[in-house]
Amino acid sequence: MLLGCSKDFLDKQPLDTINTENYPKTAEELVTVVNGAYQPLQWPKLYNLRMWSTDIMAGNSIVGAGGGTDGIETQNMSNFVTQPDNAGVLDLWRGPWPGILMTNIVLETAPTLDIDQGIRDRSMGEAYFLRAHYYFILARFFGDVPLITTPVHAEDDLLPARTAVAQVYAQIESDLLQATELLPAKSSYAEQDLGRASKGAAYGLLAKVYLTLGAYQEAVDAATMVEGLGYGLNADYQANFSVATENSQESIFEVQYASNGGYDFWSNENQASWSSPFMGPRGSNFVGGSFGWNQPTQEFINQYETGDVRKEVTVLYEGGPQFDGNDYEASYSYTGYNVRKFLVPLSVIPSYDNSPLNFPILRYADVLLIKAEALNELGQTTQAYGYVNMIRNRAGLAGLSTGLSQAAFREAVLKERRLELAFEGQRWFDLIRVNNGQYGLDFLHSIGKSNAAEKHLLFPIPQIEIDRNPNLTQNPGY
Amino acid sequence: MCKTIFKSSWQLLWLGCMAYLTCIPIAVHAQHSVKKTIEGIVRDHEGVPLPGASVLEAGTSNGVSTDFDGHYSIEVATDAMLVFSYVGYQTQELSVGESPMNVTLQPDATRLEEVVVIGYGETKQSDLTGSVASVSLEDVAAQPAANIGDAIQGRAAGVTVVTSGQPGNNPTFRIRGTGTIGNNDPLIVVDGMPLNGGLNQVNMKDVESLQVLKDASATAIYGSRGSNGVVIITTKRAKKGMGKLDVDAFTSFQQPTHVLEVLNAREFATLNNEILANGGLTPNPAFSNPETLGTGTDWLDAFFTTGRQNNITVSYTQGSEKSNLYTSFNVFDQSGTIINSDYARYIAQFNSDVQLNEHLKFGNRLKLNYDVKQNGDNSIQNALLSLPTQSIYDADGIYTGPIGQAIYSGDVDNPIGKSNIVENTTKGYNVQGNVFGELSFWKGFAFKSLFGIEANFWDTRTWVPSYAWGSDVSVNAYLAEGSNKSLTLLWDNTLTYSKSWDGGTSLTVVAGTSAQENQYKYISGSVQGFASEQTQTLNNGLLQPTINGSGSEWAIFSYFARAQFDYQNRYYVTATVRRDGSSRFGEGNKYGTFPSASLAWRLSEESFLKEVTAIGDLKLRLGYGITGNQNIGNYSFASSYNTNLYNFNNTYVTAAVPTVLPNTNVQWESQKQWNAGLDISLWDQKLAITLDTYLKRTEDMLVPQTVPVTSGYSDVYVPYINAGSIENKGIEILISTKNLQRDRFQWNTDVVFALNDNKVIDINSDTPLTTGSIGLNYSLQRIQPGYPINVFYGFVQDGIFQTQQEVAQHAVQLPGSNPATSTAPGDIRFRDLNSDGVINDQDRTFIGNPNPDITFSLNNTVTIGDFDLNIFFQGVYGNDIFNANRLYLENMSVTTNQSRAVLNRWQGPGTSNAMPRAVFGDPNQNTRPSTRYIEDGSYLRLKNINLSYNVPSELFKTPFFSSLKLYVSAQNLWTLTDYSGFDPEVGTNGIDNNIYPVTRSFTLGATLGF
Repeated sequence: MLLGCSKDFLDKQPLDTINTENYPKTAEELVTVVNGAYQPLQWPKLYNLRMWSTDIMAGNSIVGAGGGTDGIETQNMSNFVTQPDNAGVLDLWRGPWPGILMTNIVLETAPTLDIDQGIRDRSMGEAYFLRAHYYFILARFFGDVPLITTPVHAEDDLLPARTAVAQVYAQIESDLLQATELLPAKSSYAEQDLGRASKGAAYGLLAKVYLTLGAYQEAVDAATMVEGLGYGLNADYQANFSVATENSQESIFEVQYASNGGYDFWSNENQASWSSPFMGPRGSNFVGGSFGWNQPTQEFINQYETGDVRKEVTVLYEGGPQFDGNDYEASYSYTGYNVRKFLVPLSVIPSYDNSPLNFPILRYADVLLIKAEALNELGQTTQAYGYVNMIRNRAGLAGLSTGLSQAAFREAVLKERRLELAFEGQRWFDLIRVNNGQYGLDFLHSIGKSNAAEKHLLFPIPQIEIDRNPNLTQNPGY
Repeated sequence: MCKTIFKSSWQLLWLGCMAYLTCIPIAVHAQHSVKKTIEGIVRDHEGVPLPGASVLEAGTSNGVSTDFDGHYSIEVATDAMLVFSYVGYQTQELSVGESPMNVTLQPDATRLEEVVVIGYGETKQSDLTGSVASVSLEDVAAQPAANIGDAIQGRAAGVTVVTSGQPGNNPTFRIRGTGTIGNNDPLIVVDGMPLNGGLNQVNMKDVESLQVLKDASATAIYGSRGSNGVVIITTKRAKKGMGKLDVDAFTSFQQPTHVLEVLNAREFATLNNEILANGGLTPNPAFSNPETLGTGTDWLDAFFTTGRQNNITVSYTQGSEKSNLYTSFNVFDQSGTIINSDYARYIAQFNSDVQLNEHLKFGNRLKLNYDVKQNGDNSIQNALLSLPTQSIYDADGIYTGPIGQAIYSGDVDNPIGKSNIVENTTKGYNVQGNVFGELSFWKGFAFKSLFGIEANFWDTRTWVPSYAWGSDVSVNAYLAEGSNKSLTLLWDNTLTYSKSWDGGTSLTVVAGTSAQENQYKYISGSVQGFASEQTQTLNNGLLQPTINGSGSEWAIFSYFARAQFDYQNRYYVTATVRRDGSSRFGEGNKYGTFPSASLAWRLSEESFLKEVTAIGDLKLRLGYGITGNQNIGNYSFASSYNTNLYNFNNTYVTAAVPTVLPNTNVQWESQKQWNAGLDISLWDQKLAITLDTYLKRTEDMLVPQTVPVTSGYSDVYVPYINAGSIENKGIEILISTKNLQRDRFQWNTDVVFALNDNKVIDINSDTPLTTGSIGLNYSLQRIQPGYPINVFYGFVQDGIFQTQQEVAQHAVQLPGSNPATSTAPGDIRFRDLNSDGVINDQDRTFIGNPNPDITFSLNNTVTIGDFDLNIFFQGVYGNDIFNANRLYLENMSVTTNQSRAVLNRWQGPGTSNAMPRAVFGDPNQNTRPSTRYIEDGSYLRLKNINLSYNVPSELFKTPFFSSLKLYVSAQNLWTLTDYSGFDPEVGTNGIDNNIYPVTRSFTLGATLGF
């Protein structure tokens, strides 16, 4: 070995990483990259922490946690004193790009591989869907962002400028339309593939994109396509947030979590969910972890109508139903409330680092409310009632009183969205979407967040990223 | 038969001669002068008898040799002078006195004649052309330490050693400053083999010599691994004609040099009430009357304890004309100054050399080592922060934990509980050994081949039983085990040619090859939930099993050559070149060449100085060379996907994730270094000075490439490109004086002084690199061109706002009128450096430098009769420490205990202009990194004081030993510093954050020779 000719002797390749310039080459290898493109969804930078933390900024809750500087970046966001060095903003900027790279690799290589057409189509469909989803996140938080649709190589220009957000949305729309063509329906997925992007997910996301853009007829049409794909509301609202009923009939797309898979809980590779340990009431010992994040405000609690079954599923409050045999005490929280819907009882998962609970990105309930809102905006308020009432009835509430004006109906749908999708990271996007964000500013001012100004409808581009890439310009006001 | 006759003949002859000698002198005596018989023992400086030493009556041919026990007997004239001599020792002349005359010979003080190991060869100190520091092991031996690294701290100019109080930790070396933002560890070569494991593998008592190669002309022989300097350690061989058994044993008591003081229960409750009230929260009802709480729990007293250290080494040596061997066994056992932190170590060393015949010799060096490092989850931070109002145990004797709201009960894990129940164990099994053969042929040629193996196996284990302490609950016990194997093979071949001519001219040329290869593999697993916590094995866990394992490999293949030419002991030239090939670089970049050259001119041998008797030696040296650093990770060049997981519906699938944008062109870091030196020795070596000055510049330093995250590649793991540059320049002085040289009284002093100036020249980016991260949003240091490496960066504290008016007049820090949520009187005023009326990140600047300007030491050795006294001072000057412990010990914003410094907090106008107010949540962010935490890290300390007594064997009627030395010593007995933390020795980055404190120890020991 030591005697050997020095050329071989000095040739040592990595043992534990795939080391090849032209990976992927086979269908199986292609699928591993597609799988990799899903992975950033799981990261704390996106759905394990930062995405749901936007509900705090949206005024549904406060950080809580250990007090002091615990979660200071989220406190600053929710006080609308966000600076370009905010760690949460940095995460939200950084989270999507690795996923975009992987989707670009898939979209570039898949057409060149000699593989089964079904796998190729599905893989490309997933990549189009995920790329659109990642850009949708960036466009809503940051506005103009660099639009990169091919894999970046070392010799490429690493310093792209920002692309106008309209062009980004055009790419998102085009990607999602491609995805609707290429992806199979959820119903045709085998058990072990549930959780992959499907035709319904592509149409559902498309509906949300159109709603965001104010393209209401297109939103209605896309939502209608989803309706035809066999989804339904779960009779029990809680079933959307239970380990036992993951990827249910109401689920259109959700981030897949499982037990931690042997990785460090705090790492990107970790497969376990942060929602339960982070939101568990601090000091309660209800769930593994119990870090006490995301404590609902009194103003939020006040929105529940009497008899709304979603209240006891969504939040913990003193005098409410027991949790896993324990009584909740208001002293666990600064506000007197904690989020309940994502908690996995200690008796099910005893440790903080092993919650397998998926996190919803798109539920059928959301699509129904999108359709209702879009119909109302098109002046078809009467046709819209049915969709809102499906949601209300499932929550144990009577239908909306008839004869609402378009404006009153809009207000009712948005309130329904707030309660139905509470703490799922949707509220912020509703606030900045309606009436070009004026709706959100009015709301935020009404709950005492007087610092909130028009500039806050977009985050600042993180300063460190501008330092690294001088071609990035800062958003106005920062 | 023949042999017996032969032997008998010799005996006869001997008897005859003796008879002759004993008769004749009597006659002479009777005729001329008075004669007497003198006897005694000749010993070396360590009290070891010297067999074969020569005892001669001056001016005559009358002489004898000492016998195996160093004993002699000679009959001489009563007014004669006796001359005692032995090779390698100073000759002593004494007038005849009373018998017995026991004589101690001091080693030949001609440092110039000392042999210095320089890598693939050795040379005389006097012939050195580069900068090589030899550490006197005699002084080191007098300093009980866990390993040789700890002991040489401050002993060599320009060599910084950072030790740790944590039992079993290996020390960190820095030679001539920080030369790269990457790996700065020097190459350590033990018995000809680059050491892969830690220095703990080496028993200090086995070490014969330690050299530090500092400049490029010295380190170039190690090419791509030379730029951080090279430490060469050589273990002992037996001397000719010696057979000896030695036992050395010592025991030490240890304590932290300094323990921080925290608030007692009464003070804490008062503070906590103030924090919550100022934060607009309801104070803890239990603290309504702080006076009733008394002093409460002293967590630090329970956490720190008296450490113990026991060390014993037994060694035996045997040397003859043809062979010699050295064998030793060492047991070291330590319990730390924090509860449940222990270390135990066993080392066996086997060295032998055999001269087979005139041409051929063989030898081997072998170290076997087993060590166990054991500790609990020892959090100094938690011990400091635990509430004095919380007891350690509850009424049932179970550890307590916080219960209820965090603002009242705090949120700190019971540090005593965590220390005691958690078991972290690392067991190391190490073998380092080599076998070599050397063939001498023709005239002056020698071929040497050395084959070595180093095997480092280590097992790690963490066991955490289930527990329920208040709301701190761990339902399932947890077990993690890991097994690591690293195997390094080495094969060196050298051909040496040496030739001398008359008049002191000589040439030595060595050329060789070296091949080294390492394979590393690990496997680890963990599991939770045990039916019985008696069965602490992986196969007994029930929940969340994980398994892990991977490995890596590297290899180096090198050619090297060195020529040393000495013309008439006046002009010296050394030229070295090494060509290294490394697996760590991509195709086309695998090889690098590292040349160096140095010159020396020995003025003292020139005719114009030869007559000046005061000057014993005067030499000027100049060297230049290029060395490399290949410690850049094994696979930087490779393009790769990491394989991670995703899952669909709880079924795991492989997720291939490209992480690092590959840099296939990655290359060695290269370093160019100039060194100029002067050696001078005056007045019979009463004063010797070695002075070196250097300029070293690391070029092609690997710096992170700026890869914006928009590329999709990792924002953490970025490719490294060869584009940075760092410069170090400095002066090193070693002054040795022999203040007094009498027979029974000697006093020597060594002064070491080193000055280093570090500057980052280029990092290939306008964006400074941030380092020194101590948690989210806390990056304390920067690497930026024009500044020293790792300078502290932050805000500038400008006193405390005394009134609301002052707040209003100053730049906006956190606006608002509610003092619970905005800047208010009592908060720190930060300087508005850019005068824009707002305090934000733009108002940060460079606030401190962790790199010392000067390191120095002063070593005094005094010998009075049979007593030796060694006093060693050591210190650094001009460095700053970021006292990060104060970030949480003086935040006064959450419910944890605090340092006593907060008793001087602001409580109203005029009460303090340094320590801010107490307020929950710290709205003004008084704890942001700022000058508030920068402290002067300079110190002067009495590193070691040692008194030893060589017990004269004459005290015993029938001494059962040939030498006996008793010693007492103390380490870190006294320190002069302004630093307020545990200890100013905090590590090279200058951040003091939860560091196991350096210890003060008292030692009692004995060395016994048979």
